This record gives sequence, structure tokens and C-alpha cells, in this order.
Amino acid sequence: MIEALLQTLLNGAASGGVYALVALGYTLVFSVLGVINFALGALFSLGGYLTYLLMGGPISANGGLPGWGLPFGLPFPLALLLGAALTGIASLGVERLAFAPLRRRNAEPLLYLITSLGAGLVLVNLLQMLMGAEGYAFPATALAGLPDAVVLGGARIRSVQVLLLAVCAAAVIALTLWLERSRSGRALKAVAEDATTARLLGINSDAMLRLAFLLSGALAGLGGGLIGVSISLPGPYVGIGYGLKGLAVLVLGGLGSVPGAIAGGLLMGLAEALVPGEASGWRDALAFAILFAVLLLRPTGLLGRRLLEKV
Amino acid sequence: MIDNGLLVQMLIGALLGVSVYLPLAAGQLSLATPAFYAVGGTLAALLSTTWPALGADADGSFPLASFLLELLLGGLLAGVLALLVGRLVLRLQGIYLAIATIALVEIVRVAILNLPFTGGAIGIFGIPQPFPTAVGYLLPALGLLALAGWVCQRLEVMPLGRAMAAIRNDELAASCMGIDTTRVKLTAFVLSAVLAGSTGALAAHFLNTWNARQGSFDTAVTMLAFVILGGSRSWLGPVLGGLLLTALPELLRPVGDGRLVLFGLVILLGPSVFPQGLITPGLLERLGRLGERAEREPQP
Amino acid sequence: MGGLAVLGQQADPAAKAVPAADAPNGALTIGAVIALTGNANLYGQDQRLGIDLARRWSLTQSPRRPLRLQLEDGGSDEATAIAGFNLLINQGALALIGPTLSQQAFAADPIAQRRGVPVVAPSNTAKGIPQIGPFISRVSAQSSVIAPLSIAEALRRDPAIQRVAVIYAHDDAYSTAETLIFQKALTARGLPPVTVQRVQLADNDFQIPITAALQLRPQLVVISVQAVAGGNLIRQLRELGYRGQIVVGNGLNTPNIYPICQRWCDGILIAQAYSPELNTPINRTFQRLYLGVRPGQPPSQMTAQAFAAYQVVFEAVQRLQRRGGMAGVSLGQAREALMAELLGGQYDTPLGPIHFTPDGEVVQGRFYVAQVRMDPGGRSGRFALVRNSPVSPPER
Repeated sequence: MIEALLQTLLNGAASGGVYALVALGYTLVFSVLGVINFALGALFSLGGYLTYLLMGGPISANGGLPGWGLPFGLPFPLALLLGAALTGIASLGVERLAFAPLRRRNAEPLLYLITSLGAGLVLVNLLQMLMGAEGYAFPATALAGLPDAVVLGGARIRSVQVLLLAVCAAAVIALTLWLERSRSGRALKAVAEDATTARLLGINSDAMLRLAFLLSGALAGLGGGLIGVSISLPGPYVGIGYGLKGLAVLVLGGLGSVPGAIAGGLLMGLAEALVPGEASGWRDALAFAILFAVLLLRPTGLLGRRLLEKV
Repeated sequence: MIDNGLLVQMLIGALLGVSVYLPLAAGQLSLATPAFYAVGGTLAALLSTTWPALGADADGSFPLASFLLELLLGGLLAGVLALLVGRLVLRLQGIYLAIATIALVEIVRVAILNLPFTGGAIGIFGIPQPFPTAVGYLLPALGLLALAGWVCQRLEVMPLGRAMAAIRNDELAASCMGIDTTRVKLTAFVLSAVLAGSTGALAAHFLNTWNARQGSFDTAVTMLAFVILGGSRSWLGPVLGGLLLTALPELLRPVGDGRLVLFGLVILLGPSVFPQGLITPGLLERLGRLGERAEREPQP
Repeated sequence: MGGLAVLGQQADPAAKAVPAADAPNGALTIGAVIALTGNANLYGQDQRLGIDLARRWSLTQSPRRPLRLQLEDGGSDEATAIAGFNLLINQGALALIGPTLSQQAFAADPIAQRRGVPVVAPSNTAKGIPQIGPFISRVSAQSSVIAPLSIAEALRRDPAIQRVAVIYAHDDAYSTAETLIFQKALTARGLPPVTVQRVQLADNDFQIPITAALQLRPQLVVISVQAVAGGNLIRQLRELGYRGQIVVGNGLNTPNIYPICQRWCDGILIAQAYSPELNTPINRTFQRLYLGVRPGQPPSQMTAQAFAAYQVVFEAVQRLQRRGGMAGVSLGQAREALMAELLGGQYDTPLGPIHFTPDGEVVQGRFYVAQVRMDPGGRSGRFALVRNSPVSPPER
């Protein structure tokens, strides 16, 4: 009984960690710009592929370039970090192409939805063209030396999932600390709170916006790399599913709330882990049913701020 | 090349675009259209394949009257669901409403996938045909579109339509003016659902097979693109957007692997190039003035 | 509206007359709708190769009626397959090969049936597909015939097995059809599964169903999913400590799973409709052609079945041509005649000698059970034949 509970907790924590990462990605951009970056799921996929490539993994470009790989192979931790960083830079590109032109014209928020969706579509399909649509599994050397699974009591969890959990936790803690303690972090929070006042206080809100995009992309890329090593990359669309779940978690926790995103992610992961195997088909609906229910009871999410409308 | 099959699909795209447009015209970003589309389609698929009273033949043909009945029933069922759900959901604002409707779409999709009588993964196939070829569907699709257009056009002059526009402009001010915002928003939501449900019933017969994948999140956002790129100030916008954007991936087939990249580029750059969509308010004004001038000038 | 209707009429090529074989436009089109994108592209790549090898082989057979191959991407979803079918039918294809997935077949085949276009499926194994209509046939044997063989082999190796766990993808037509066969076979042997875990095609994290199944300490795990999910599932099963036997279904019948499950693929049992070791002239020719493109590897079942599908269509066309069946008829009539010819013939394919039931179901005399053997590096491997079984014709 305890064993089953522990197993469920472990299962839930592992998937919840990734959801929280993605939700945090959305939160960063939302808190500063007030819009949702629909390209985040695609960035998640990108991070996975970049990490894979940096480890020297071979790709095939839909049969066009069989077995091609980078001439070097970085060890996994380095590939993961570098992949995340590169994804962050790609995210800056998305900002430049999909968001900046609209901000210049003061466009209505709805348009950002469309352009970021377009950016996501372009990215995912470029990945498909370049990398091919086959699944890629990371080289088994990624976690050389670690045992296959960890057994706690009677509950089992794959070592790679423990790793995933650890990295997610580290990233979340690092992000929270940075936002609270560091100068630039607090500047970002200031811009999120009130951009005009922040600018009056001398904070370069444009730079903060770009920083938000950079970090947001890096988080998504980190998630992609972790999922890739843990489960393999089934195709460029892998990020879309996580992007959607992350969106649900974002709203569940309350738009713009960092602790909300974390709590929401873990809650979502746990809820999914509690669905028994026979009903596993309903698992996806559960996440959204929970979201639906929470929104009806608390229209701004669990920990979200109430939107004050100025008349 | 645009063949009749593609033409019908383009019309379906246009219909769904109008369905997404209706709540937007009342200021509500609702992406629930795919859910009602799926419900209408599933109903039609189930009825035509399991209810002998409708007269499906062994060789797969289907009486026109039953087909039209299904269009009606599909819209009706969707409308009833919208009525039930709408009251709850329309209390939400802005992006929260959008997300709640996305959640609804996913829930409906999973329900159709898992419920035993909706065909599960295989879905329902071999849906009987009221017309021997795709050409036959052109008339009902155009008819439905004409009906939707007529309703939208009427709305512009009716008090209901003006109330919708007022809410879109500023909901708080509208309610201060005495408009029953809940009732107006709900009406727009239900109209949108009825249109989506009927379109689903049409599509189920046209596609000849129906499953849970027909209504999903990415279709929702693509439909939103129809409205945004076509122009969200008039119902003509989503019609044009729906026609064009449905045709585009098929027209780009010769490009090969890169066609979806091109499609994504169109959606990415479209709003920057056409921030008000293709059918802008300015264009509408000019068309309106042309119409007035034609009326005033004596006929030759 | 009338103008559009006229356009529609002119676009339907079924009424056009079939040109003479030696006329400049005498080549007839064979359409193939194969998954070149999406997850099922793992199968599609093999199939594209098989069809291409068959085409090359057919050119050496001095065909009287030249054939042209037109390949369209069927994607991994129903809508793309339907679009591909419609496109090829409207462009005047004589017959169609495909689609890749059973799930797609249920959606697209009725369209071909209604338009009177013969379909030869290379890889659909779900129950009920040839029964969609008289124009639908397949060269891939039903899962009901093949699947029980691997169960039998697993039990032969370890007669003491008591607890069996079953895992399948509930949102896929092939998986749901095959798992029923597996479960029936198990129950018939007095081994009803201790647990049946449902997953989804799009899943890649199986922590939850695996840990749930492992709590019941199964000694045999039977899996019906497609290749990508299957590779992940096997790897995670092994990583979480499962040491018993694993039997997999047709979805993993491709060497493309090796990169996914790597060294963990070793030892899984799978029933097959093709063996590279079958010593017939056509199989040797097939393998020679294959090795010319992929040296060092034996061909996979998917490739062989795709080859057989094209071969069947090709030979039926040539026979029909020789009999004069293509002279002075419209395309629609030629399609009908081709279907009758196709169902009536015997074919010597790399799968062995095959023919069809009047329904369009393939009759194949011999099936195999293979075990995956991975090389020490875990990067490549092969399907090693472990059993060669004659099977009586399928029941209706």
C-alpha cells in the first residue's frame, strides 16, 4: 500500500517536474509581455534535438543524410546545458520575428497568438525537414555508470527519471533565487509588475523582455533535452504535447505566478499518476478537466493575481 | 489543383472560420468550435450508420432528407451543449476563457476516443453518402455558408448585433449601458456552436469516416488564424481566411517537404503584413460606399 | 455551380479510354500512398524501398504494358492518406498500393472502394480490412493468423509461465485488433492476462503502466503498439528491472526499432510473415537487389511485403494485358477487370507462394518466429529466425 503510494508519488513527480519547467517558460514571457508564446512547444522539441546532436547523435534528414552526425560528441551534462542555451538564443529569434514587429505597431494581444503559432509551425517543420521524422534515442553512454533503476522500498524509478527530477528542481530553485535575489532578476520582476514605472526607474524593459525570452527558451530547451534522454525523441512534434500540458499548468497555477507554475506542474503530474491503468485513455482529459474545474471555481487559477481592470 | 473535393473542404474551412468569428464579434475569444464540430460529426456518423430508420442503403447511399435532418440535429445538439456549458464558461475573461475552451476541446476529444459507442480509435467509417461524388456536397456547403452569412449580416443591423459590438468594444461600458452581457455572449456562443455542429455533420458525410482526431487543439488555433488573417471585423474575413488557408497546404503539395514550413511562414508573417487581416474595415467601407452609389445611380 | 459540376465531370478519368500499350502515353499509373512523414514513416521508408526494388525488378521482366509509379505521402494520419488516395484516383491511377497503417486503411479504403479502384495493402493486418469491399485486398496476413505463433514460441521456451501482462495502444486500429488476438490466444492456453494496460500511440513515458504491471510480477509481457512507442516501452521495461520474456506484435517488425531500444531490444520474440532464409529464386533476387542498396543487412518484413504488393499488381496487369483485357475499355472497366484478375492469380513472391481468397485476404502457407539479436555495440542487430511454421489457410 505504502509502496504503491510511493510509486505513484515518484511517477507523478517525474512528469510534474517537466510540466513545471514548461509552465515556467510560459510564465516568464507572460509576466513581462502579457501574452502566451505558442512557439514554446516547438522550442522544447528544438532543445531535445540540439542536445542529441551535440552528443554526436546521428540523424538522417528523412533518409537524405543517413548517419550524419557532428564530428564530436559532448558528454551529456555539457550537451544539455549548451542545447538549452542555444534554444534560448533561438527563442530570441522567435521574439524578433514573431513578437517585435507586432509590438512596434501596438497590435492587439490576439495577433501574438497567431504569429507565435506560425513561428512554432515553421520551427517544427524545419526540424522535420532537417532531422527527419524518425524517433531518435540518445546514445546509451549518456548516463554511463548509473544503474538502470533506483529502488526505494518496493517502488522503482528509472535513474534517468531521478536525474530529470533533480535537474528540474535545480533549475526551478535557481530561477526562483535569481528572480528574488539578483539585480537583473528583480529588474525582470519589476518590469512584470509594471513596465512603465520600471522604465521610469531606469530599467531597460526591452532588455528585460529579451532576457525573459532567452530564459524561457532555455527552460523549454532544458525540458526537451531531459525528455529526450529519458524517453527518446519520437519526432519533432514531441514538444507540442508538452507545450499544451504546460499551458494547462500555467493557467492552473495562475498566469504569471512562478510558485503557481511549480505547484501546478507537480499537481498535474500527481493527478495523472493517480489514474489507474485501465482508464489510461482518460489521462489526458484529466489534466484539462482539472483545469476546467479550477477555472470555474477560481477564474484566475490557483495562485494567480486577480486582473484589475482600470476604467 | 483545386478539385471539387478541395473546394468542399475550403467551404468547410470557411464555415468553421465564421463559427470562431461569432463569439469574437462579441469580444469573446472562444476556441470551442472544434469541440462542437466533433460533436456534430459524431452524431451524424452514429445516426447514419446505426439508425436504420434514416434509410442508409447497403451500397452506401443515403437519402437527402435524412442528410438534411442530420445537419439540423448536429447543430441542435451542439447548441444544447453550448447552452449548458456556456453559462459556466463565459464568466471567464480573456485568455482564461480561451484556455477553458481549449480544455473543453481536449475533453471532448478524449471522451469521443474512449466512449464505447463512438468507435474508439478506429472511429466510424463507411459513412453513407447522400451524393455519389464530391460535387454534390457543394450545394449544401454553399447553402450553409449563405445561411451563416445572412445571419451575420442581419446581426449587424439588429440590436443583438449592436450589443455584441458594444461588448467587444468595452464590456464594462456595455453593461453600464444596460446590456445584458451574459445573454448576448451566450447567444453568440450558441450560434457559433450550432454552426460548428451542422458543419461537423456535413463533414462527417463528406469525409466518409469520422474519429476523435477531427476536433483537436491545433485545428482550433488554425481556425483562429482564418479569422485573424482574413479580418476579424466582418464575417467575410473568416470566410476568405478559411477558403485561402484551407487551400494553401494542398496547393503547396508540389513544393514537397517544405510546404508546411511555407504555410507556417504565412501564418507567422501574415499579421505583420496585414495587421487587420485581408478584409479590413477600410475595405468594407469602400465596398459599402460602392454599394450605396450603385443604389443611388439610375439603372441603365 | 453548373460550371463547377462540369469541371468535376471532366476531372474524373474513369470514363477515359485506356490507351494502347505501345502508344506514347501507354504507361498506366500505379499509385502508392505510403507514410513518408510522421511516426509511421519508420515503416514507410522500408515500404518505399520495397516498392522501388519491385519496380526495378519489373523492368527486367519485359512487361507488355509499361507501368509508371506515382508515390504520395500518406502521412501518419487518416486525413493525409485520404488526400493521397483522392489525388491519385483523380489523376487516373489504375490501382493503389497502401496505405501504411490499418488505422488509415479504415478511413481511405472505402473511398477507393466507392470509386472502383483496386487497392493492395502491403502492411495492414487488422481484422476486417479486405471486407471493406470487393476492391480491397492485402498481401499482409491478418494478425489472427500470425500473432498466436509468437505466444506459442514463448510458452514453448518456458512452459512454466503463469502470469502474463498485456500492453497495447488503445487509440490505434492495428493495436486494438492485434491485442484481442493475443489475449484470445493466451486465454485459450489457460493463461488469461493478469493485467491489461492501455497506452496511447503518442505516449513515450511508460513509467505508469509498466510499474503497475510489474507489481503483479509477470513472467511474460505481450506488447501491441507501433514501432516508436514499442522501442521505448521495451527499453523502459528492461530498465525498470523486468527480466522475463517479451513478445511483440507486427508494429515492431522493422529494424528501425534498433536505434530506439538499442541493446535492450535483444531477445524479444516476434512472429513474421517473411524470412530472408526462404530459399526461392524470387527471394534471392529480391535480396540481391536489396543488398545493392543496403549492404550488410537482411531485408525487413515491411520491405518484402511492399515488394510483394507491387509484384502482385504488376503481374496481374501483365496477365490482363496478354489476355487482351485492356483493349478498348475505359479506365473504370480496366480497374474492374484488373481486380478480378488480381484475385484469381497465384504469385511467387519473396514471402513465398501466395494467392487470395475471393474476399481479398491473402493466403500464405508459411510463417516464422524470429528473435531480435543485437550486436554488442547495441547499434545494430537482426531478426534471427527461430521457428518456421506451416499454417493452414485462414478461417473466414
